[in-house]
Amino acid sequence: MIFRKIGLAVTFSPNGKALLLEAERLRELFGSKLLLIHIGEKTGRLESALDELILSSGIKKENADIIWKEGDPAKNILQICKNEQVDLLIAGALEKEKTLKYYAGSIARKIMREAGCSVLIKVFPAIPPRPYKHFCVSALFSNNGENTIRKAYEFASLEKAEEFVLFNEFQVPGLAMTVYDSGSLQETEQNLLKWHTEESEKLQLFVKELNLSGIKIKTESLYGKEGYEAGKYAKKTGGDILVLTAPKIKLKFFDRVFQHDLEYLFENIPCDLLIVKPEKAEE
Amino acid sequence: MNLTANDTILLLLNISVMLLFARGMGELLRRFKQAAVIGEIIAGIILGPTIFGSLFPSLYEKLFLSSTASQTALDGITSIAVVMLMLVSGLEVDLNIIFRQKKAALTTSILGIIFPFTTGFLAAYFFPHLLGSGQMNDTFVFALFIGTALSITALPVVARTLMDLNILKTEIGFLIIASAMFNDLIGWLIFSIILGMIGGAVHAFGFGQILIITLSFLILVLFAGRKLLSRMLLFVQNHTGFPGGVLNFILILGFLSAAFTEYIGIHAIFGAFIIGIAIGDSAHLKENTREVIQQFVTNIFAPLFFVAIGLKVNFITNFDPLIVTFFIVLAFIGKVIGCSIGARWGGLNKNDSLAVGFGMNSRGAMEIVLGILALKAGLINEKVFVALVIMALFTSLTSAPFMSYFIRKNRKGNSLFYLLRPEIVFFTGRKSKEEMIGLLADKISGIYKSEKGTILKGFLKREEKMSTGIGGGIAAPHTRANCAHPQLAIAICKEGIEYNSPDGVPVNIVFCLVTPEDRPEIQLKLLAEIAGKFKNKNLLSALLACETEEDVINRLKSVEQK
Repeated sequence: MIFRKIGLAVTFSPNGKALLLEAERLRELFGSKLLLIHIGEKTGRLESALDELILSSGIKKENADIIWKEGDPAKNILQICKNEQVDLLIAGALEKEKTLKYYAGSIARKIMREAGCSVLIKVFPAIPPRPYKHFCVSALFSNNGENTIRKAYEFASLEKAEEFVLFNEFQVPGLAMTVYDSGSLQETEQNLLKWHTEESEKLQLFVKELNLSGIKIKTESLYGKEGYEAGKYAKKTGGDILVLTAPKIKLKFFDRVFQHDLEYLFENIPCDLLIVKPEKAEE
Repeated sequence: MNLTANDTILLLLNISVMLLFARGMGELLRRFKQAAVIGEIIAGIILGPTIFGSLFPSLYEKLFLSSTASQTALDGITSIAVVMLMLVSGLEVDLNIIFRQKKAALTTSILGIIFPFTTGFLAAYFFPHLLGSGQMNDTFVFALFIGTALSITALPVVARTLMDLNILKTEIGFLIIASAMFNDLIGWLIFSIILGMIGGAVHAFGFGQILIITLSFLILVLFAGRKLLSRMLLFVQNHTGFPGGVLNFILILGFLSAAFTEYIGIHAIFGAFIIGIAIGDSAHLKENTREVIQQFVTNIFAPLFFVAIGLKVNFITNFDPLIVTFFIVLAFIGKVIGCSIGARWGGLNKNDSLAVGFGMNSRGAMEIVLGILALKAGLINEKVFVALVIMALFTSLTSAPFMSYFIRKNRKGNSLFYLLRPEIVFFTGRKSKEEMIGLLADKISGIYKSEKGTILKGFLKREEKMSTGIGGGIAAPHTRANCAHPQLAIAICKEGIEYNSPDGVPVNIVFCLVTPEDRPEIQLKLLAEIAGKFKNKNLLSALLACETEEDVINRLKSVEQK
């Protein structure tokens, strides 16, 4: 099973119902348990409003547990996920936030940065929910990266996805400076081409080693700032979900100032994001 | 002052001759795999009072010194050139990369500054005359400058050297680049403060004010300004012609920032460098924009600046062997030891640490820029300047051979080149696939003292999943195990063995590879390298014709990966 327990931060926002429908769809797809989390005061009126919302989303009471809690939303959601051993948290987010809010950190962004489990960020939740058809998956050449790809592939297979693109990103700092002393753009371009070929071959070998069968895997090597290129690529190719490996560390304010790869994506989310937390202890 | 027709002709002649010599000498040096900037400096020495001026004094006088107006104009052009040079240097300093590197980059860059700075400062403070302090009254400021001069690393020369050694895109390459970037940033910051200390007396602001304004400018541009500049860059890129619009945008900002720092009493180059960092940080800045601006600046403006240095100073009359020797010794002691200790502390082995130390020792163009500014500011005399230039050239020339020596010596490298040695090769007769893998496991376990049972099990398990036959007579069984470095053995079987390869062709050469279990990327890299070598269709037959293990290794090493 890809994810055993799915958590959803339920809100009464315009996207609240769409997110509930998506959570129920994924619960069925993965055969998981569902935990609905609402942060706010528990009053009779709100309780019946939530029940109504849940019922209208087709979720049977026996299929979902509900937790109410008051306090700081992001902090409480993350704590509940930890206590309840949620392994996939679904949350809605805006595609882009104002600069100040981005730096200060909204609830959704805080969840992305600090969650101890995998996170699915929905920027375009739809009614009725649509299965993902175009998977873009970032390939990290590590054991954690391998785990992410396997999960993404299983997910894509369940969704009967039409396309599964595995890409890796690379950058050679100081490359432009080598033009300085050679005076030859051609030499620099040739080196870049050589590295591109090397990276593509590595990626193809990686895919071969994974020995996955089913959906055909397309590979792509991208040159440029990591994270930024991933977002650009997903947008350009019409990917509807971008799958990444969660970083080994929790992202802090410093990572927004001197941008971590993932922060390029959090700043301007290109499509739905699935950030996969490694299963084992950190490498 | 207006330029007369004669002044204009002289100016244009000067520029043509300078560019001609710079290009000629630069190309010559490149043929010897040396930095073009060294050739450009030598071109200046040839054209200047050192050689041309002493051989043909009247012609030299007529060409370079007869017109004050054209000299002033040339000075203006070289001032713009150095501002542009620092702007493009800044573009390549990636703050994110500096902060994302592992511990080794941090320890290397910090010790790579502290150690040479302290060595230089103490030597200059306690023995100022040995280092030619001469007319300098303030020993403290002089010592500060010498410390800074010794802690600088020339990023462009380092990048070029790493490219030539084919290690720019390796862990050690990233480490050196990130450390050099950090060194540059701190080095120029300290230098601007020194200039502020001297400038405080002649500018509108006192030293304290200069320091506060400088730090505020730095924080504003590097923290808040970067985001804004990135958005502006995206706008310009999307709404103006490429590359003209972007080039204009970068140069306008560079000159404005340079003008500001010049106004507050530190040099214009600092402003250009800092704004370069802020713009270069933008993910929207395309790689080809960087390359175009590098070409534009470094092929036209930078050579003029470097040649002009040779025109100003006589390198023979100002050559003091004692000062030169002191500078070279201090440069090696400070940088090589400091960076090597830093790299070792950061977890690198001895040879890699020394490779990093020598790599970071390359001073090149940045040292010369620093030197000429110090000379103009009256911080140093011409003898010290000449010593700095010679030290910069010497450290740049020696950087690549030393680095290469230590990298080659480090046989535990993660590149196929460094794993190839005769002991890992053996010739064998026809065998079954399993027998062959068993023999290879024996060989690996004998050479690397690894547990044969574990690796053999790993190879066979991998074969069960899918054949590791690559096709074209090559196979590469592989597994991951608990080892610190990759292990390789090669079997040559002229008769060929049945391997169930995708093309059905019997296998003649088997590369058996064990890599660290926690680093899958090393396995991929080595397998890609092996596959890459055999894109050369003649390699297989050439290897099968080899009589000895040494021949096999030499042949494999001689094939350039396509």
